[in-house]
Amino acid sequence: MSESSIVLVLFGSFLALLILGAPVMASLGIAALASFLYLDENPIKLVQIAFNSVGSFPLMALPAFILAGALMEASGISKRLVAIAESFAGPVTGGISAAAILACMFFGAISGSGPATTAAVGMLMIPAMTRRGYDKGYASAVTASSGGLGIIIPPSIPMVIFGISALGMTVPLDAIAKHGEFQSISIPKLFIAGFFPGLVMSVSLMTLNYIQCRRYGYKGTGEGWSTADIRKAMRSGIWSMLAPLVILGGIYSGFFTPTESAIVAIFYTLFIGLFVHRELKLKDLIHSLETTTWLSGRVLLILFTATAFGRILVEHQIPTIIADSMLGVTDNLYVIWLLIIAFLLFVGMFMETLAAIMILTPVLLPVTYSLGIDPVHFGIVMVCSLSIGFSTPPLGENLFVASGISKTPLEEVTAKALPFACVSTIAVIVIAYVPSISLTLPSWLGY
Amino acid sequence: MMNIISKIFDNLESYICRALLLSFVTLLFAQIVTREFFGFSITWSEELSVYMFVWFVFLGSSYAAKLSAHNRVTFQYKWLSPKLRTFSEFLSDVAWVGFNSYFIFISYDFVFNRMNLFWKSQTLGIPMKYIYLILPIAFTLMTIRILQVNYLKFIKGEEIIDPEAKEMNELINSDLPDEKTPNTVEGKL
Amino acid sequence: TWKMAVGDGGGSAQEALGLKFVEELSARTDGKYKADLFVNGQLGSEQATVNDVSLGTLDMSILASNNLAPFAPALGILSLPYAFENIDQAETIINSDIAKELVEAGINQAGVRIVAWSYSGFRMLTNSKRPVTKLADLEGLFIRVPKSDLIIKTYQSFGINPTPVAWSETFTALQQKVVDGQETPYAAIYSMKFAEIQKYLTETHYLFALEPLIISEALFQDQSADVQKAILEAGEAATEYSLSWIKEKEEGIKKELVSKYGMQIDQLEDEAEWASRAQSEVWPAYYDQVGGLEKVNAFLRTLGRDEI
Ligand code: NA
Ligand code: NA
Repeated sequence: MSESSIVLVLFGSFLALLILGAPVMASLGIAALASFLYLDENPIKLVQIAFNSVGSFPLMALPAFILAGALMEASGISKRLVAIAESFAGPVTGGISAAAILACMFFGAISGSGPATTAAVGMLMIPAMTRRGYDKGYASAVTASSGGLGIIIPPSIPMVIFGISALGMTVPLDAIAKHGEFQSISIPKLFIAGFFPGLVMSVSLMTLNYIQCRRYGYKGTGEGWSTADIRKAMRSGIWSMLAPLVILGGIYSGFFTPTESAIVAIFYTLFIGLFVHRELKLKDLIHSLETTTWLSGRVLLILFTATAFGRILVEHQIPTIIADSMLGVTDNLYVIWLLIIAFLLFVGMFMETLAAIMILTPVLLPVTYSLGIDPVHFGIVMVCSLSIGFSTPPLGENLFVASGISKTPLEEVTAKALPFACVSTIAVIVIAYVPSISLTLPSWLGY
Repeated sequence: MMNIISKIFDNLESYICRALLLSFVTLLFAQIVTREFFGFSITWSEELSVYMFVWFVFLGSSYAAKLSAHNRVTFQYKWLSPKLRTFSEFLSDVAWVGFNSYFIFISYDFVFNRMNLFWKSQTLGIPMKYIYLILPIAFTLMTIRILQVNYLKFIKGEEIIDPEAKEMNELINSDLPDEKTPNTVEGKL
Repeated sequence: TWKMAVGDGGGSAQEALGLKFVEELSARTDGKYKADLFVNGQLGSEQATVNDVSLGTLDMSILASNNLAPFAPALGILSLPYAFENIDQAETIINSDIAKELVEAGINQAGVRIVAWSYSGFRMLTNSKRPVTKLADLEGLFIRVPKSDLIIKTYQSFGINPTPVAWSETFTALQQKVVDGQETPYAAIYSMKFAEIQKYLTETHYLFALEPLIISEALFQDQSADVQKAILEAGEAATEYSLSWIKEKEEGIKKELVSKYGMQIDQLEDEAEWASRAQSEVWPAYYDQVGGLEKVNAFLRTLGRDEI
């Protein structure tokens, strides 16, 4: 049976169902099923794939981080972090919108997700910006564009998913023969590697923000920095600032695995919410559990069918074919990176991030292995590229959230967010071209 | 009475999942605490928590189906007439139900006819059969939920909005705080 | 062309066995029959592949015998702690009638046929804290073990409570000192680069890893007599090769662990005590599963050891 006919059945039925509007999970599942039947293989293997793809210990980090994030919101930790960022705004041109970006970085370090970051920051910062005379559309665009930092600055749910998908795959032997041994992947290592790229993305956003604010004439407050405000915000937020420290410190120092650090974060948050801030109600707790339930159920069901889909790719060595044909076009690594990033941006425009990672990792990772790209570096570039997708149409979750909060038309927010997407893209290209941005910190820390 | 039963049925997966989530998170925390502070590790906790997690995921995905929260790509609907749009939504759900039904069949067959009878979980000693049982159960429930959503949509004419869209609507309809909220937050130290 | 799942990664004893088997099979059938290897659990966990092979959705798999034992309990006898005291005893068993009975048990209890065995070496104990030369040194060490009832019970008989950690998290857990040590054969210690993060190694002999190559019995029965013969002969040749492979390999690995990583390798001073504890506390729980005390005694007789 020729490989190209399998590709046709597999990807053809998948895309057809996707366009019809079937759930991503069903589109992948039916495509895998159709391929099994076409290849005359017994589809009963789907049963074990279903059980084993989900039944893994590291994967429990996903519900744990979602729950931790939801509880932090309900316990008043998120809003205190945003308040600290706001108190730093001061007299600088574009100060308050830079503070919004800063808040996204702070919050990015505790929340695992992009839209959650946008919502938490946007609820407080968009009104704060409009009070200082900012245009609502611009205020929303800044928040939506920096919301993606939430998945780059650790902890990050997409990196957990990338790590899980990548751990299940082997390095092709001819890749090792050509490029030598590759470094191993682990979720803590990805988390550490994401730190500097997150900074690069933030700095690029802040630079454009400064330029735009100069143009629009958004000045800071006349009075200068208010040390009283800063002190007040810090005092009120001291327990909240400890939250990212607990999570990141636990992982970086090696005290906990990522799953464990999320678990500890849950109980830390419960403690703060119940006894220190006393803002956490039973109702919120139940609501957080419920949100975690359907979010996890939805994501991990896709993981099941995406694993089946990936299994067919692996068994028929399709990624090798893709890699070969790519190298047939060009063997310039810089050009190939551009192609990969463009492709990821394109996918990110239409598809939800986690689904995209689950589907694309089995396709692209073997390709990048055979090009000699470090797997951790690739994972970071992939997550960074897809993070831009949060603020690009037509499916831009962050844009929806921000325009919803500020009640400005989606088109207006989208138009003002596009320049930010452009600088973010440039930042991603830099991150791709300079591997040491991602790989220096892990090697310093002995990973 | 009928009301209570129907309410329980309506939220069945949600109740079970919340309990499972709470249990395995607590179990993992207990494991960390006993290890770090008492130098003792619970040998069965990893296995038990993973199996609870698997049950949580599959029942949770049935709950997600009930909320019609499963991700779809829908931007192309903008270019379709409402009629055509409804039709392709319906058609895609038919395909989904078809996949699920086939999966229920093979997972039932696997659990009851094909599975090795000696196979037990390693540290708990429970026959794996009972743990795998969640697959036919959850996919059956999920299929019922899909049919339920379509029934409500087409027969009852109700609109099922997924929870994210719902939250978004709430954000849009709520009024923005006028006061400078952040700095009025009192830290209770 | 068949598909063969291999639990361990490239460079492992499992892979060596698989490659040799394919080479021999192909030579005996004029290149008509071959198999592609999918290493590192690409086709699913070792236990999952047993189901797949017995259902015929996968052709062959190489896996640890303790992962086959849940499906064919008789095989549990190979994993009893201190069932083998040295590698020669393992060889004796594989060439005895006991091995033939185990093959039968595999067919009847799990629907898979064992056609070859990989000798994968004794599980060695490593840790990052201190040299372990006697039982008392174990106290206070957190040892990572697989999620296996048998190994957990074995360590409990040595007097400590081990910590089950998923294989995929093991390196991280050791590196981050969530656990102090682990126990796997030399080949795994080498390929996982545990020496980078573990200073002390103790040569222990409580479990010799024998890892069968299984083929779907339904598939085997579908083949002509000639092909069946070729499969079995290829299996025997591969088994023999595996024995010489492991002896040579472990020698080389040991040297490198010391010279390149500066690992300290110690011997046990009181291993008889370890063995007698394991035998008295662990074995009785498994008599039923492996087919009764008589089976165990037959096993010991074959090795010329004292019966219980
Ligand atoms: Na984050
Ligand atoms: Na998008």
